[in-house]
Amino acid sequence: MSDIHTPQAGDDRAPDVDVVALLMRQHGDIRNLFDEVEQSSGEERRDAFRRLVRLLAVHETAEEEVVHPFARRALPGGEGVVKDRLAEEKEAKESLAALDGTDTDDPQFLPRLRELRTAVQEHARAEERYEFSHIRRHADVTTLASMARAVKAAEAVAPTHPHPGVESAAANLALGPVAALMDRTKDVVRKAMGKG
Amino acid sequence: MSFNPLEQRGIPLDRQVRNWRELNVEPIDPDRCDPYTRCRVITMNGIEVEAILFSHQLARHTADPEIKRQLARVRYIEAQQQKVVNWLLPGVSSVLETTIAYEQVAVDLTAWVARMEPDPYLQQAYQFGVLEDFDHLYRYANLYEMIEHRKAESIVDNLTEVMPGRPTRFHHRDAYDNVRDPYDRHAVNPLSKLHALTIMSAEQQTMNFYMNTGPTYMEPIARQLYQEIGLIEEEHVTHYESLVDPGETWWEQLVNHEYNECYLYYSFMEQESDPKVKAIWELHLNMELEHLRVACDLMRRHDGREPQEVLAPELPNVLTFEPNKQYLRELLATQMDLTTLGAGYVREAHERFEKMQEQIHGGEAPPSDRVMAGHDEMFGREYRVQSEGEHPDPAMREK
Repeated sequence: MSDIHTPQAGDDRAPDVDVVALLMRQHGDIRNLFDEVEQSSGEERRDAFRRLVRLLAVHETAEEEVVHPFARRALPGGEGVVKDRLAEEKEAKESLAALDGTDTDDPQFLPRLRELRTAVQEHARAEERYEFSHIRRHADVTTLASMARAVKAAEAVAPTHPHPGVESAAANLALGPVAALMDRTKDVVRKAMGKG
Repeated sequence: MSFNPLEQRGIPLDRQVRNWRELNVEPIDPDRCDPYTRCRVITMNGIEVEAILFSHQLARHTADPEIKRQLARVRYIEAQQQKVVNWLLPGVSSVLETTIAYEQVAVDLTAWVARMEPDPYLQQAYQFGVLEDFDHLYRYANLYEMIEHRKAESIVDNLTEVMPGRPTRFHHRDAYDNVRDPYDRHAVNPLSKLHALTIMSAEQQTMNFYMNTGPTYMEPIARQLYQEIGLIEEEHVTHYESLVDPGETWWEQLVNHEYNECYLYYSFMEQESDPKVKAIWELHLNMELEHLRVACDLMRRHDGREPQEVLAPELPNVLTFEPNKQYLRELLATQMDLTTLGAGYVREAHERFEKMQEQIHGGEAPPSDRVMAGHDEMFGREYRVQSEGEHPDPAMREK
């Protein structure tokens, strides 16, 4: 791999006025973190995996709170589309649970990580094809932008990438508090969507 | 090498039809496959698509219903081969990811053919074209990072460098200057015929792919970039197809097609790293041997000639996917500023070229430039993979 670093969504200079473009870039960020976990070892892998879990948690929560409700309401057949996505998310969460508690140096870790990666990737593409494309068709620019703001607000709950000075605090956030993190993310997103 | 397709027995045609279970192949893993396995898949898809389209054209020029039926039987099998080959591509890949793989094919296939081509005029045609595909790879790679936040090296895996080639805006030439002179079918090395057919087929499939998938994008810059590069693929098909001697009879062309399919399946079988894919190359080779036998019979019957008169006495060296970094760097250092004039090449922009440039750009930056500006706005840099050092052309180094 080259030493060029792709910043995470929110850290690039994209205007982020379109929730779909933002989430698609986050899908790439998630894949990049999977690469990082696979290609590192020891403490570095543990750290990369923590960041991956946090980004997954925040990303999925934001989608559940922001994108799926809109799709359910606004898309013809939206109920069914969202139901399929939630089933995929459930599968991904089960893969994640299987990883939970496995040490990143355990020989079982990488095969399980790959299962998770496959589940997450299939889910992400299905969202892009069967949900996001319809959202762009049915949402006006104001809605796309306000949903983008809500997703970005969720990201601020738990930094999912190293920020100078907060590294050690972030490092403490192991797999345990993922459920709590999801709850906090939900609160922030609901506030941002004006439903606090 | 001792493999002579004319002396081998293939699978009888009536045993070649596959059922749904056999057609339902397991796709390659997008994140962990050998990038050159994906390149071989894309190449063979292009070859099978050409086989099908050529056979349809031949059938439309054939009056005898029995011959039409014979062509239809083989063509149906070819359609199944195309399905099996192209369905090796995974559904989770985005169009842009497949596009980057198409450009890796265009770069490493064309560069290898240029290295091996014995005829200097044909070799120049491949050298000229490859620097354009090389630039397309760079533009799409930058678009990819913008839309998906992913690096093209996760697809091409450092086997192929990603940096500017001949700038895409200069690929738009007057169509008059896209037609080359054909080789002489009596004098040319039989290997040259296979090269021309292979590269023409690959570029044709790239043209088909962009013209159909480009509008599936919603991002304006993506739609526009596919439109621009799609038009250049049209120029490339014109460029490469004009190398083929139009004096070859239909039956001679059919024999050349089938022989080339044997050559490529044999080549890829020899080098394939994925055992499941290797088994497909082997099976398809054994099918093609029979298609070749049928084509040879048709040629004997209708042209009254022996296929050996137009074919090589044995298969040439296997066509190989491998890095061509140093070769491409030599071309980048010496051939960036070429354009075409009539059937040849010049270094100066001439009147017809200038006029076309004015017409198509209409005083504005083309999508291939705007994608770089957009990328710079987002990241404050370009995306490149220069594993072998700085760009050989100082003017093309990143500022």
